[in-house]
Amino acid sequence: MSSVFAPPSLRRDLSLVLWQIRYEQRAYWRNRGRGVFTFVFPLMFLVIFASLDKGRHISTRGGISYDDFFVPGILAYGVIATTFVNMAIGTAVLRDAGVLKRMQGTPLPRWAYVAARIGSTVLIVLAMTVLTLALGAAAYGVHVRASTLPGLIATLVLGSAAFTTLGIGVTRFIPNAEAAPVIVNLLVLPLTFISSIWFPPDQLPKAMNDIAKFFPIRALADGLQFAFDPRTLGAGLNSADLRTLAIWAAVGIFLMVRFLRQPLGEPAA
Amino acid sequence: MTSAQNAIAVTGLRKSYSGVDAVRDVSFEVARGEVFCLLGPNGAGKTTTVEILEGYRTRTGGEVSVLGMDPARGQRDLRERVGIVLQQCGVQADLTVAELVEMYGRYHTQRRRVDEVIELVELGEKRDVRAGKLSGGQRRRLDLALALVGDPELIFLDEPTTGFDPAARRQAWSTIRSLCSLGKTIFLTTHFMDEAQNLAARVAVMRAGEIIAAGTPDELGGRNLRPAEIRFSLPTGWSLGDIPSVPALERTLEADRVLVVTTEPVLSAQRITTWALERDLDLGRFSVSQPTLEDIYLELTRADPEEAVR
Repeated sequence: MSSVFAPPSLRRDLSLVLWQIRYEQRAYWRNRGRGVFTFVFPLMFLVIFASLDKGRHISTRGGISYDDFFVPGILAYGVIATTFVNMAIGTAVLRDAGVLKRMQGTPLPRWAYVAARIGSTVLIVLAMTVLTLALGAAAYGVHVRASTLPGLIATLVLGSAAFTTLGIGVTRFIPNAEAAPVIVNLLVLPLTFISSIWFPPDQLPKAMNDIAKFFPIRALADGLQFAFDPRTLGAGLNSADLRTLAIWAAVGIFLMVRFLRQPLGEPAA
Repeated sequence: MTSAQNAIAVTGLRKSYSGVDAVRDVSFEVARGEVFCLLGPNGAGKTTTVEILEGYRTRTGGEVSVLGMDPARGQRDLRERVGIVLQQCGVQADLTVAELVEMYGRYHTQRRRVDEVIELVELGEKRDVRAGKLSGGQRRRLDLALALVGDPELIFLDEPTTGFDPAARRQAWSTIRSLCSLGKTIFLTTHFMDEAQNLAARVAVMRAGEIIAAGTPDELGGRNLRPAEIRFSLPTGWSLGDIPSVPALERTLEADRVLVVTTEPVLSAQRITTWALERDLDLGRFSVSQPTLEDIYLELTRADPEEAVR
């Protein structure tokens, strides 16, 4: 069958993805509620915790300063907020409002729409990272080290991949948009307390430590902290953390694909 | 392009959920350029049928062809040529009317100009307002704009005027008629009988998963063959027996109201009015009426199937 329409080309689809990223970005930055959740909270926590522990050192970690621990810890929290939390709540809202269904009825391929939402998230993570590291450098003297930059980048990339895909995939288990913030925070918050975000988990009971090590929050925070630890030699690549993040990224991709394959028209069985 | 005569052809469509048929043996055709209306009470299977045509749901059995393609295959070419206005469907609330029309337009290789579409649905004054801030009726017009921006050949409208005030509904109807004059095919579902009467060339009525009647709005369920009803008030002192004989199927008096059911309304009305004028009688609230589409619809969709057959 011939068609009066130009055949879809990859080139056109990629330009559609870029356009869609622009619309996603515009919509994102206009919504102030999201800005508070994603950008103000982590930075606020950074200021509060850094003031509380001003001048203190971590004896279990060879006496490094708390600031060297917090800045990457809060960065991990910020990455999770911009990827997992935003994606899960955002996707649940789009699904329940019918936007996903509407998008499915358009000629925009589903993969292009998902790619644009992920691309937009990448830009937001970048903004979050730059902001946190700039504040860390300006106010707390925590600087990115050139030598451990590979570790920092690898951990950020794998962590963002894991938490973005998990954020989309987890939507399948969120029954409605109203429940989304509660469920997402229930998944994230308790884990942050044993995952090296707010304080070093060095004296955690073994069972809790094992639980924390299973999930990706600990791996992301620890991987970033490893790259910022003044004692770290070499490229700052923590293979155990990177492995955990890679496994969760695979789980995330699997769950994401399963969610995306679900037909939107059929009522839930 | 395959030159299918019909925009839509459905044969023996069946859809079942865990063994229970929601739609069974539904067949109909929609000609190109026609406004076709699917009527039916809630739960009759309208939305299931429409969403199968739109490609949102799979079917259990039967043949479905939309613009010569099978919607179950989810072809992009089909989505290029079809515009969909879903029932209660959200939109990116943080973007403005103009941004949304532009964004949805980009998905199509062939599209209409943004401002032209905004003017068509009369949202010019709201073009820079965010979708989340629009009223219900304005949101519905935006829905229509987003379905039209891709310049579709076939447009699905699922209850397009729900929540409109009467003036806005008339306006929407004229927009739909103008689409029709451009040669677009329109598949409409609605709860409003006047909407079907005003817009549709043909209607089909669904009940309990089946099409129970189909035809033009004027002929549905033999409407054009139904007897007419003449009603008026009889002045005091006169009784039913005083009225001249007319070819009536039924003559009743309730309080002072007379009802004459007749297959010859012109002759009957003429005799009755002549009789009244000769005696200088005032027949209050005199009316002659055919059953409305709504009367026929209510009769057809009544819960008890025995009652529907008269």
